[in-house]
Amino acid sequence: MSFWTDIPSLSRADLRDLKKGIDASFREFSKNYGEGIEAFFDPLYFFLVKLEKLLIAAPWPIILILVGGLAYLGSRSWKLALGSMLAFVVIGYFGMWKDMMATISLISVATIMCIAVGIPIGILMSRYNRVQSAITPILDLMQTIPIFVYLLPVVMLLGIGRVPGLIAVCVYAVPPVIRLTNLGIRLVDKETLEAADAFGSNYRQKLFSVQLPLALPNIFAGVNQTIMMALAMVVIASMIGVKGLGMPVLQSIQNQYLTLGLMNGLAIVALAIIFDRVSQKYGQRLQAHRYGADHE
Amino acid sequence: MKKVIFSTIAAAAVTLSGQAFAACGSISMADMNWPSATLMANVDRIILEEGYGCEVEMVAGATTTTFASMDAKGKPDVAPELWTNAMAVALGVAMDEGRLHSARKMPIQDLGEGWWVPDYVLAKNPDLKTVLDILERPDLFPAKEDPSKGEFIGCPAGWGCQLSNINLFRAFEMEKKGWILVDPGSQAGLDASMAKAVERGDNWFGYYWSPTEPVGRYNMKLMDFGVPFAGSDNWDGCVALAEQECDDPKPSSWTVSMVHTIVTDNFKTSAPAEAMDYFSKRIYPGPVMGQMLVYMGDNQADGSDAAIEFLQSHEDVWTTWVSADVAAKVKASL
Repeated sequence: MSFWTDIPSLSRADLRDLKKGIDASFREFSKNYGEGIEAFFDPLYFFLVKLEKLLIAAPWPIILILVGGLAYLGSRSWKLALGSMLAFVVIGYFGMWKDMMATISLISVATIMCIAVGIPIGILMSRYNRVQSAITPILDLMQTIPIFVYLLPVVMLLGIGRVPGLIAVCVYAVPPVIRLTNLGIRLVDKETLEAADAFGSNYRQKLFSVQLPLALPNIFAGVNQTIMMALAMVVIASMIGVKGLGMPVLQSIQNQYLTLGLMNGLAIVALAIIFDRVSQKYGQRLQAHRYGADHE
Repeated sequence: MKKVIFSTIAAAAVTLSGQAFAACGSISMADMNWPSATLMANVDRIILEEGYGCEVEMVAGATTTTFASMDAKGKPDVAPELWTNAMAVALGVAMDEGRLHSARKMPIQDLGEGWWVPDYVLAKNPDLKTVLDILERPDLFPAKEDPSKGEFIGCPAGWGCQLSNINLFRAFEMEKKGWILVDPGSQAGLDASMAKAVERGDNWFGYYWSPTEPVGRYNMKLMDFGVPFAGSDNWDGCVALAEQECDDPKPSSWTVSMVHTIVTDNFKTSAPAEAMDYFSKRIYPGPVMGQMLVYMGDNQADGSDAAIEFLQSHEDVWTTWVSADVAAKVKASL
């Protein structure tokens, strides 16, 4: 009778013992290997700390020139460069300079790491179908699993602060660049590849001279999405003690400080728009030759 | 279980004279929605039922609603763990008018907020007696970011205590003494930072509150601030406010959270005097409460399971609250 109404399940005691057992073995693992794992990430940690300190200590005009210069180099657009500088001045004027520098240091390192890890994985996935079918579910998991589920174990291993924050950001932000690199390479015309084969190219030549250049629009779309998602994670990262624009947002959520929340939220949006426009323009410029457009 | 209880009551009623029983009658008890309070409510229920022959009805409760109901309607009769800072004025009036009585002030030792360290820190450094002593030793709590500084884990962003911690950090001139204030970002972050440090035997110094499971699990010790409470003008008018609104915070111990076991006048007059006497003696030592909260967390035990566990494993604690006669009755019922 109860078979039809109650789904067969472990008894409460068994379930409890199972949970307790897994928790205990994780604690044991953290006790034994935590220090080693933390030491492994130490170089990254100290790099993050140094970068943040450098950005905060640097005189603001230099940062502004740097921002304008990078924006111009990326986009070759005076409008964008000036707009970026103006946004930075406004953010600084409203007292969010330090937090912004902390956020920028985390996001830029996270983005570089994601790209460095993501593009090779994407290439592997495009080359071997088996790798693709193995990695796709992992990417699905990374994008959907509630963040705190993996964040707390990571914090138990590495402590609160920047490194777990970086890991959290990357876990969430790396899938687009992997997916779109894979997709971009797979979408390259078969005929083009046949032509490359006919010229006797080996795999490496085909990859670097034909596939990657032709896949660039997609890869850049992926990089762009990765940056956007990394910025979206700033507030979540603050929940494990990462300094930056996310902290005041958290504070304002709890206390209904509407203005504080809005200001810091808009500062994150401004950063996102700057990163987005500059990287998109850069991507477009890289492909300008395909459409026979003039190089500006 | 119920059957056992009923049969013991019946047996007891037959064998004993029962003059106390008739006097007690039926009472209602607030069963609050956090672990230490539900444990205490269930222990009280068992002792009142088995020891003093009351009939106890449990009523779900929460701090403000339970107080409002007790104040206005006189029901429930007992609130075992009522945090009264938020309703200090109304409670004072009700007590002056004789509607409510405090049967026990501070029923749990070491309760409230403050700055904590794991017990082994104090064992290894016996010269650390107060917060003031700890503040002289930032080298014991090196910050990862800058090991020449000490790390103090404050309260998560956005909580009321964040402001108090920031202002006390200023008041004690901790920056000058070589400390940095770390914002753990969330309770999960705060808990995990404590868990990580203690699991590895590292030193940890930060804000927490009691009675809570982490305090029990990791044997955290509440530090005496080494300075007295510097007055509520300083606390409410400065330390508890945002940094910009507090120009000159003075060093102070944490404001005291008042917790009472509150009973209604009806209970005080109709229940046997021994029951009031029981409440007046009933203080849970901090570590015992901590152990019980860990037990509840580990075993997902509800209040009544935990109460039986407490009565079985901490006999030395609760038998001092009641007469030998009552203790024997309660023991027989377990």
